[in-house]
Formats: sequence, structure tokens, C-alpha cells
Amino acid sequence: MLELRGIRHRYDGRLVLDLEQFTVPRGAALAVVGHNGAGKSTLLRLLALLETPTEGQVLFSDAVVPPRARASLRRRVTLVEQRPVLFRGTVRENLEYGLKLRGTARTAMNGIIGDVVERLGLAPLLNRRRHELSDGEVQRVAVARALAVRPDVLLLDEPVSSADRAAANALYQALAAERAARPLTVCIASHQLEEAYRWADSIRALAEGRLSPVTPENLFRVDLPAGDGTKHVRVGGIHIAVMTDRTGPAVLAVPPTDIFVSLQPLSASARNVFSGRVTGMSIERRGAGVHVRADMGGVELVAAVTAEAARDLALAPGKTVVFSFKATAVQVF
Amino acid sequence: MLVAGDSEVYGIALLTLKVAVVATIISCAVGLPLGYFLATRRFWGRRAALTVVNTALAFPTVVVGLLLYGLLSRRGPLGGLGWLYTWQAIVVGDVLLALPIAAALSAAAIQGVDARIRRTAQTLGAGAWRTAWTVSREARFALAAVITAAFGQVVAEVGAAMIVGGNIRGSTRTLTTAVALYTSQGDFGLALALGLILLIMALLVNIALQVLQGRGEGSAHA
Repeated sequence: MLELRGIRHRYDGRLVLDLEQFTVPRGAALAVVGHNGAGKSTLLRLLALLETPTEGQVLFSDAVVPPRARASLRRRVTLVEQRPVLFRGTVRENLEYGLKLRGTARTAMNGIIGDVVERLGLAPLLNRRRHELSDGEVQRVAVARALAVRPDVLLLDEPVSSADRAAANALYQALAAERAARPLTVCIASHQLEEAYRWADSIRALAEGRLSPVTPENLFRVDLPAGDGTKHVRVGGIHIAVMTDRTGPAVLAVPPTDIFVSLQPLSASARNVFSGRVTGMSIERRGAGVHVRADMGGVELVAAVTAEAARDLALAPGKTVVFSFKATAVQVF
Repeated sequence: MLVAGDSEVYGIALLTLKVAVVATIISCAVGLPLGYFLATRRFWGRRAALTVVNTALAFPTVVVGLLLYGLLSRRGPLGGLGWLYTWQAIVVGDVLLALPIAAALSAAAIQGVDARIRRTAQTLGAGAWRTAWTVSREARFALAAVITAAFGQVVAEVGAAMIVGGNIRGSTRTLTTAVALYTSQGDFGLALALGLILLIMALLVNIALQVLQGRGEGSAHA
């Protein structure tokens, strides 16, 4: 559906996005996760055809998008920004904005607006103006405004950052209902991994403007020293051993499935052995097992274990555990 | 004289209003879109263009009058128009002076609008014109102030009007050139009376603009 190829995007000469390829398949529910400043918002603006990449191409349905995308093409992709803004006027006028641009008849417009208003619980807000709304309400109106124009691709940047749990659930239910009704492609940028695992079919991790080769739980921004072979890199209060020839700024990624969880230190070849307390546990979708989060010297590491292993070790928050992984398991990008 | 409605004064006031309104409309019709373009588009030489426009804000009116005189005089490149010493020449001079104001201040007003407004309009499917309209609507108070400033410039302008208009009685004499003339002749009372008319005119135009702004606000919230 949407694809970025050979993207190197800069702001004032500073490289903010460096992607060989990034694809949003048709009908996908994709989550892009990463820390603040990882490049998620920039990525979404490129996908929304609102910015032209400094280098590289954006493809829509396998066709290269020209530098200044026409409005007709942009109408098929709609972005809701992290801190969305409403136009002057009432909530209803905001919901009508995109529909009027498309020449939607009044009767059809009322039907569409009634539909999104009901799904997102906006009925009491319809005649309010933007200064009469909370941040969470503005976010819901912005999502409703985007859903109203029925795009092929909906891009949401941290859509529940200002929402309470009920509003977040209403949003995800509205998205699910929309996807059940028609082939809608959704791509959400989020820094909340649990949210992403809960609803997305596919998760991509972004760090320092680059795609992580592994899942996004254990990503650490480091400065690699010069030299070959095993390097011990300080991350918070621990030193992670890594095998790499690279030097300078990089991101370390430790796949959760490569971390052994034990109650005592193991006598094994693993160069990285850390002891700490379990801070949380969550059951993930799609057979990812149980994610065990533990505080290791001020650094949170996440290990993936089976439900059976979690039960055998009697893992629970507050319990002391040991995480072990090989230096060769640490990926550098 | 003011109360009795002297026909000459009446004519001077009407000509002043006509010149000011026409010059304001032309300078804003060109300057506001130019300001929007400078504020929103990234192109090579944009910074230089903004510098030129901002520098033009401080262009001395008599210098503009002199340059225009050279252009419109019989041997000048635009001499064929026959506009020298006509109200059209005063309008051209006023437009040259008000255009940088309209462009520079509207560029600043548009730059003050949250960039997300423009992106949101675009992502909802707005084309270039509709996006410009949406962004301008957000800056409507600042843009109204731009129009007021442009009107203030042209209605108070005297240097260029004197040079290219000639201050001809019954033809190109405006309130400002008349004030200058009567002051030089020592007729301070008449000069003061004409100055008062100028002030009242500026006040009425400002009130009219404020009423229009108020209506815009009301309809937007309806």
C-alpha cells in the first residue's frame, strides 16, 4: 500500500530518518514503537505525503509519489498528529471539514458524522469549540475527523497519549469496527509497547531514525568505543558485553527471547549476567509468551518466557531474578 | 468650514479616500498572497526575498516618489501611460509603499499560525487554495491588522503623492498634500482642519474593519 525506499531524511542537515525500506501492507494494523525522538512522527509525516524525503522515494500502490503530492492522492492517507489541533469553529464544523472538501452531500454527511460521533462518544461535544475541550477530547475529535473522510490509510501518532483508559478503549474499538466494515490500513506510532502488542498485527521498532532488526523491548542508545571483539558498554548502571567492530553512536538491541531467566546465576558462556527484581509481567499476543520486566541496576530489561516457565520459577513482581544473555545475542544497528 | 461642508475640502477628502482605498486593495491583493507564499514555501532565495521585503518597509517615500517620477515622466519608460500628475500616479506610489507592509506583516502573521493547522488541512484533503484559506482564517486578526497598517500607510503618505501627483488643486490634491501646502502658506487653521478630517477618516476605516472582524467571529462560532 505505502512504501518508503532508500529514505534519508534531514532537518537542517541533521539526519532524522534512515530507512532502506519500510512497507505498510494493505489492510495491515501496524504499530511503530520507539522512544521520543526516534523518528516516529517524521516517518508518519512522510507516509502521509505531507513531507518530501530529502533522499529516497515514497510509493503509493506501487507508484512513485511525486515531490508535491496532489490533494487527490493525499485524500487517501490521513494523519492524526500526536498533539492534534482543531480548526476554528465547532466540533461539528471540524468533522464536516474534510467531507465538504470532497463534495459530500448534506444527507450523507450527517450520516457519516452521526456514525463517527456515536463510535467515539462525541455527541455531547458537537457544538463545542476547541477552547472548550480537554486535550483528550481534542484527540478524540481529531480521530473522528480523520475517520469521517474514510481514508484508505489512517496514520495515528500516539493517539491515546492524552486519553484515559475508557477513551483509549473506545478509540481502539472504533478502529476495530471500521476495519471490520471496510479494508482500512492503520499505522500507529506509539511509545507504549503493551498497547502496540494488544492490537497490532505487526510491530516495527524505530531507534535513532533507523529500524531495529529485532522487537523493540530492549533498545539502548550507546557510544561504542574503538577496538575489535568484545566491548563492554555502559548502559545506565550496568555494562553490556557486545561483539562488534563498530565504533561511535549506535543502538544495542537485545531480543527478549534470547534472555535466559533463572533464580540463581548460571554457570554458562553468557557474558551478560544481571541480577534484579521483577517489576512487571504481561501476557502478550500472538504466542510471544510472558514478558518479564526486571530492574537491573536502574535499567529495565524485558525477557520473554513461556507461561510454563513463569509458573515453574514462580515469577512475580518483586521476586529476585537473574537475566543472562550472550554477547553475540546483542545486535548493533 | 468642516461643518459647512466646503466643496473643495469635500473633494479633497473624497479623492484621498478613493486613492487610499484603491491603493490598499491593490497592495493587499498582491501583498497578502505574497506574504503567505514567503511564509509557507521553502525555495532558494527565500531568506533574501524576506530581507528585501523587510528592507522595503523602511523605503523613504520621497525616494519612491522620485523613482516613480522618473518612470512616469514623458521620457520615462512608462511615460506613454500619461499618468504623471494624476491620481493614478499617486495610487501607484502608495501601492509601492504599502506592498512591503502587506507582504512582510502578513508573512509574519502566517508564520505565527501553528504549522499543524496547515498540515491538518492538507491531510484532510485540502488543496493549495483551501489550505491557504484555512491558515489565513486562523490568522484573521493579525491579517486585519495588516490591512489597517497598509491603509494607514497610504492615507498618511505625503512625499510620493506630492512628487508624482503634483498637488494640483481640484485634481491631485489630497488631504496630506493640502496640509503640507497650507502649513507652508501659514494657514495653520485650515491645515489643522484637514488633519482632523484625516484622523476621522482613519478612525472610521478602523471601526469598519473591527466591525467586519466581529462579524467574522460571530459567523465562525454560529
